[in-house]
Amino acid sequence: MSLFANTTVLLGKELRTEFRSRELLTTTIVFILIVLVLFSFTFDPLSDEARRFGAGLLWLAFLFAASLMLQPCFLREQTNDTLSALRLSVSDPFAIFLAKLAANTLFLLLTELLLLPIFAVMYNVRVLPVLHWIALVFFLGSLGVSIAGTALSAISAQARMRELLLPLLLLPLLTPILIASTEVTSALLDRSPYVQWKGVGFLVAFDVVFLTALWLFGEYLLEE
Amino acid sequence: MKNLGSVFAAYLVGWAVFFAFYLTVARRTALLREELDRLKQSMKKGS
Amino acid sequence: MWKRGFVGAAVLSLVAASAYASFFIAPTERTMGLIQRIFYFHAASAWAGMTAFSVCFVANLLYVWRRQPKWDSLGVSAAEVGLAFITIVLITGPIWAKPVWGIYWTWDARLTSTFVLWLLYISYLLLRTLIEEPDRRALLSALFGIFAFLDVPLVFGAIRWWRTQHPAPVIMGGPGSGLEPTMRAVFFFSVFALHALMAFLIVERYGLEKLRVELEIVRREAEAV
Repeated sequence: MSLFANTTVLLGKELRTEFRSRELLTTTIVFILIVLVLFSFTFDPLSDEARRFGAGLLWLAFLFAASLMLQPCFLREQTNDTLSALRLSVSDPFAIFLAKLAANTLFLLLTELLLLPIFAVMYNVRVLPVLHWIALVFFLGSLGVSIAGTALSAISAQARMRELLLPLLLLPLLTPILIASTEVTSALLDRSPYVQWKGVGFLVAFDVVFLTALWLFGEYLLEE
Repeated sequence: MKNLGSVFAAYLVGWAVFFAFYLTVARRTALLREELDRLKQSMKKGS
Repeated sequence: MWKRGFVGAAVLSLVAASAYASFFIAPTERTMGLIQRIFYFHAASAWAGMTAFSVCFVANLLYVWRRQPKWDSLGVSAAEVGLAFITIVLITGPIWAKPVWGIYWTWDARLTSTFVLWLLYISYLLLRTLIEEPDRRALLSALFGIFAFLDVPLVFGAIRWWRTQHPAPVIMGGPGSGLEPTMRAVFFFSVFALHALMAFLIVERYGLEKLRVELEIVRREAEAV
């Protein structure tokens, strides 16, 4: 079976598993909400500051949520050693990663888009006119987070203190995503919104670099 | 001559870091070498 | 054994000479005065640190490819030495900043990027302490090391592009750019001296690591007997 076919099958499995219980999605959404509310206590949410800092806080919340949400990614494959089964079922282990990172990107994107209206209301920003652009930056940013997060999740699943380890490894690595995504989002939420193409290009570059790295080295992450 | 203290402090701290690093490595190396020799001796005696 | 001592003394003299040059040969800078002399140590340490991390990166790649323990030993040695140099950059930066701008931390682009770099390699070392099995530890930390190193240009790029908008003071002018010839010579001599120190420290640390690995093997043999 081709890489595409393998990935599609595995992706279907990932999605089915999650949508059966939806526990990952619901807990992630609630977590981001909590973080947003907590952030609002640290400054005046209706001031001009909120408008300027809003995008950054939003992405910080996404990053924190992702570093928690990505934990079960490979951990759950350790019970009953389903990882070995997965490895046997595909010819190219990259399919496993592709499927997982596609699923993670989808989950992240879903939670982000669901929270967008709430964020817009809480922080008093207009999102409707630039909705498609926001969706684009959400996608590119979440893709980057998922690629790095899926890879690192495979690493932390094999170490001790994994709950603390994944955020520890992931968050410094994602600094470029945080900066670029915040910049692009902030430009879109500005009083006179515009698309920061430099940022979009940078996000694409990040995604390409890490996807390539994952393609080159992914199989070693899954070694016995 | 203003800030002479700061410049000295910077260089001293820097060298202190390197010395500390080197000394810890040297000490651990000596300790390990000792233990390695000890183990090798005891194995020679044992067999 | 004595060769090591000789090399060590030679490296020490080089470093001492570069410090002498920084204080007595380099001319005093016009605007900042004496405090600017920290630059020779601060910037040269940054370069040496980056070289060490590059060595770590190559060692990581070689380990993933060859799976020989010596590459893992080289990787961790280079990472630790690199971290020592970067720590010095992060300490001398604020010591420089305080007299000149009145504050210890200026969120200067380079210093901030360096801080993230420091965090990445601390994570590398922390990861190693959390995996017990040696082969697994070597492989997983090598893979993380590779990802971390690939991230470094992206970190520096992003911070430089978007976080230097504010009129933040620049801790150092571009190395070698706009430097008066004597200053440039002193700077490159410092770079050379600190690289020599870096190489010496990596070799020492590598020796320790090899001993540790050998000790493990002998211990296991002793237990088998």
